[in-house]
Amino acid sequence: MRIFEPHIHMFSRVTDDYERMALAGVRAVLEPAFWLGQNRTNVGSFVDYFDTLIGWERFRAQQFGIHHFCTMALNPREANDDRVNQAVIEALPRYLEKDGVLGVGEIGLDDQTKKEEHYFLAQLALAKKHDLPVLVHTPHRDKKKGFQRCIDLVRDAAFPLQRVLLDHGNEETIKITRELGCVSGFSIYPFTKMDTNRMVAIVKEYGVERMIINSAADWGVSDPLMVPKTMVKLEQAGLRPALIEQLVWGNPVAFFSQGGRLDVARLEHPANIDRRQTFEGNSVLRGQDPDA
Amino acid sequence: MNVFDVQASLRALLPAERFLVFEELRTQVAAGGVRALQIALPALPRKIGREQLPPELALEGDVSVDLGAWRACDAAALELLHVAQAGDDALRELYAHGDIEERAMVLRSLACRPVSAGTVALLAEVQRTNVQSHFEAAICDSNLVARSLGRAGFAQADLDRLVLKAAFLGVELVRLFDVQRHANPELSRMLQDLATEREAAGRAVWRDTARLIARAPTAGTLARLVGGLEHGDDGTRLAAAEGLDALLSRERSQRTELHHYLRERLPREPRAEIRAALERALAR
Repeated sequence: MRIFEPHIHMFSRVTDDYERMALAGVRAVLEPAFWLGQNRTNVGSFVDYFDTLIGWERFRAQQFGIHHFCTMALNPREANDDRVNQAVIEALPRYLEKDGVLGVGEIGLDDQTKKEEHYFLAQLALAKKHDLPVLVHTPHRDKKKGFQRCIDLVRDAAFPLQRVLLDHGNEETIKITRELGCVSGFSIYPFTKMDTNRMVAIVKEYGVERMIINSAADWGVSDPLMVPKTMVKLEQAGLRPALIEQLVWGNPVAFFSQGGRLDVARLEHPANIDRRQTFEGNSVLRGQDPDA
Repeated sequence: MNVFDVQASLRALLPAERFLVFEELRTQVAAGGVRALQIALPALPRKIGREQLPPELALEGDVSVDLGAWRACDAAALELLHVAQAGDDALRELYAHGDIEERAMVLRSLACRPVSAGTVALLAEVQRTNVQSHFEAAICDSNLVARSLGRAGFAQADLDRLVLKAAFLGVELVRLFDVQRHANPELSRMLQDLATEREAAGRAVWRDTARLIARAPTAGTLARLVGGLEHGDDGTRLAAAEGLDALLSRERSQRTELHHYLRERLPREPRAEIRAALERALAR
């Protein structure tokens, strides 16, 4: 079964992860622009990162047959940093027109400050202007209140809810979002946020309509195979394969197709897998025979 | 510089509705310049398409380009760069912040533009940036590299390093138009060292090595060419036979000695194409 991994930070992962993901059925990944573990001190660092997402990282994924897409944004943590926030907003429009950029994200709230709200609204306006859906990061602390505040801001901006993916959900937030018309995202982690067994329970109770699961793997304790691992658990729990496929392929493909840039027909085939290619003098092969 | 008629090519290739999209983009970019192009360029593969143009060698002035290597979006990009009046700074900026497809389109356009400081700068990028599609877009299927030789910042050593990279990546020599004319002993040494390194590692050697080193022999060249006649790989034997033919066409001092090896090989060579090359060399 093919998997569209709709939220994973491959920038922080090693090449082995791509190989294991491809073997597990991952055909495409979406990498949201995010915080890099520490604050950046100037806009140039963001621009270089954005160029990496549409260049090197896409190339690296292709070498393992995986289509790489991304969303671009000023993340909520660095929205608080006046050294970069406004300049990043001004740099974004050009990147929001790139063909592999399927949304605006991660935007949203983290510490739930006024500045975060200001830049959340600014980026909802950008998403409208560039006709893109949004991937919304919700706070890890005081989550329920932050979740509600994100929804209020989306409504204030008159942003269409079907174009909103509210991510990092849990058992409490699903009760809020289920009837809204937005898409509910769940980040499956080995120990935190959401785990496989809890996710199975949520699916059994709420179904898979407008629901997305992701691995959200980054530098922390995380696992890029959490989506396939959750699929196994769902199958063992008796969920029909067609519903599992809807959850891991149909739903994310439909959500990120809303901007009109995702060519679904191209996903029918693996991305270019010629690993003889190198990028800026670097090859992930490190001199080995590509056919070995 | 009008190497080929992009609008006529696209009109013939594209469905009418897609050609209309191209014309709309052309109008937008003509009005909005480079800033409009920054927005239009990323969408060209999706909006205009990736169909190959029909094979045709376009010749204009000192430019030669195989249009069969071009896609519809490449041709559209060339036209949009022209109507946006994109100069060197714009080209480099579009390359620097372009995605993989954008970079390939910018690089392919160089073949149909006058050689400039921007061309040389992007060739230097390609020397480091060898996503194969980028390398091919800039270096292959045209005479851009040969045409750039002698420009400030692009000397023989720069051409040699690009050819060595082609060998490293396994790109066919026939796609590097006119490069054989610039063979030289230092390039032969570089290619032979690469071949020796690959052989020591038990890896494949660039088949076209023999074709290039034969045009500018250096220490070890003759032994490598003669040895190639006994190689188990048909392509390597053919290259060795063609190399010896090229060498004998210009250098006859070792004719007697080389003819001995050619005659000795001829009756044992199973491939007709290679036998023909051996016979041509023997006729020198």
